[in-house]
Amino acid sequence: MMHEFLASVVMREALGPATLIAVVASSISVMVLAHRLAFLTVGVSHATLAGLGFAVVFSLPLLPSAALTAIAVALMLGVVSPKRGMNEDAATGVLFAGAMALGIVLLSGANRHEVDLFGLLFGNILMTSSEDRFWLVCGSVLAMTSLIWLAKPWWGMAFDAVSMRAMGLPVRRYRLLLYAVVGLTVVMCVKLAGIVLTAGLLVLPAASAWLWGRGLFSIWLISLFVSLIGTWVGLYVSYMLDWPSGATVVLLLCAIFIVSRITHRLVHHREARRHH
Amino acid sequence: MTAAITTPAIRLNHLSFGRPQARILENINLQLEAGHFLGIVGPNGAGKSTLLHIICGLIEPDDGHIDLFGECLSRGSRKRLLSQLRFLPQRQEGMSGMPLRVRHVVAMGLDSAYGPLWQRAPHRNLIDQALERTGIMAYADTDFRALSGGQQQRVRLARALVAMPRILLLDEPAAALDAPAQAKLYKLLRQLCDELDMSIVMVEHDIAAISDYVDSVACLNRSIHHHALRGETIPEQVWHDMYGNHMHIVAHDAACIGCSSHGDGPHNNETHYGQNT
Repeated sequence: MMHEFLASVVMREALGPATLIAVVASSISVMVLAHRLAFLTVGVSHATLAGLGFAVVFSLPLLPSAALTAIAVALMLGVVSPKRGMNEDAATGVLFAGAMALGIVLLSGANRHEVDLFGLLFGNILMTSSEDRFWLVCGSVLAMTSLIWLAKPWWGMAFDAVSMRAMGLPVRRYRLLLYAVVGLTVVMCVKLAGIVLTAGLLVLPAASAWLWGRGLFSIWLISLFVSLIGTWVGLYVSYMLDWPSGATVVLLLCAIFIVSRITHRLVHHREARRHH
Repeated sequence: MTAAITTPAIRLNHLSFGRPQARILENINLQLEAGHFLGIVGPNGAGKSTLLHIICGLIEPDDGHIDLFGECLSRGSRKRLLSQLRFLPQRQEGMSGMPLRVRHVVAMGLDSAYGPLWQRAPHRNLIDQALERTGIMAYADTDFRALSGGQQQRVRLARALVAMPRILLLDEPAAALDAPAQAKLYKLLRQLCDELDMSIVMVEHDIAAISDYVDSVACLNRSIHHHALRGETIPEQVWHDMYGNHMHIVAHDAACIGCSSHGDGPHNNETHYGQNT
């Protein structure tokens, strides 16, 4: 069976991009969880539909247009959120609905053969063009480089941004960069899991790792491991059962998350009982 | 205050904050020498925390300016000046949800903790020293979330101390501590001023608790009503200006700052604030 899976050209071609996305998404998911940006990823992923709509109407390249939209939206939310009077939650909700509506209107005018709406909404990692792959690599390099550069300040900010600002560190700049990188990562995830399921890739890996890790690096490693297992096994299962790939991956990540929580509870109960 | 021989660590000139009709702080003038321990007291909403936030550049004043080490705090000098200052904000709930070991929390007080990933930040001895000073060495590898409120506060203090700043700003550092731990904290701060020439500004509610340790006390309510050196008496009128007329005065030790010979001072729990809030 495994042999058959690897012999399939479609699957072999999907494996590379999917792995790349898994690595980037799980790494960024640590920051998403630390900064509680889960809802932001949902908002931004839906907002990319507006970008894709414009790209189709004006026949621009899809992934870069979507990436620019996502980064712009994420930055906008990053600027709005610290200001008083506008709740980040509400701002995200407004943008989410507005951009999605705009995207649907724009795409409705397009030729039905030009747009794979189902693919946009639920992911189509099995159909990556060489152009897609090029942009995926560019995005990954950018996201991972920023992460290597800024993981420590980002992690520290999630803990106590006020003290960091009082040390003279450029916390606002760090925050905007984080939002931009999250926006970029969202677009890459849309390729695998689609607009609707992207948040799963950007929340579940770190959420599964959160209970087990004892610091940035252990959480990062566990999250990476969870994400790779979920993606590889997910692709395999989707091939075997003929399920949609993005949804299968997210479903598997959910399963890992639930198992991780239950195991953690059991282990801790046993430990607690031993202490008594 | 005595005339400056060396450059003062902190100097505030005509500092105001808030709209002109509704000032939160008004015309604050303050000078702090190296090694000076200043306590700031005042009722709730007096602008104590705001003042600290302005000194460490978290918010900008609407009027006046701030000199640190004889240099104006501006966009250009901010990073350089503030790297020698540490601020311990008021204790907040809900920021302890992240898995972090105590040692790493303390390390976050060092500038080198924020470099790129490949840059290792050893400074183990600095961290150990800070842990030792605050008496939490035993918890160095414990998860921060597993500590009690008082222990967490000591970790945060260690984090503020680890870089050996020249200025330390503390916003009610003793809020989560019991009385012996409080006394220990104040003693440690006194020691840092004397031995390392650190300048400390501490906002605290209870003037009686700190008066044995600080060099001077500033009574703040929108503006500084009085600045008393150790052993000096704060006139009763100042208390009335600050807290209004419905205040409850309790007896204190005659030696403490702010108490006149027969001993009076405000009891903060039972003070009714006037229209000044």
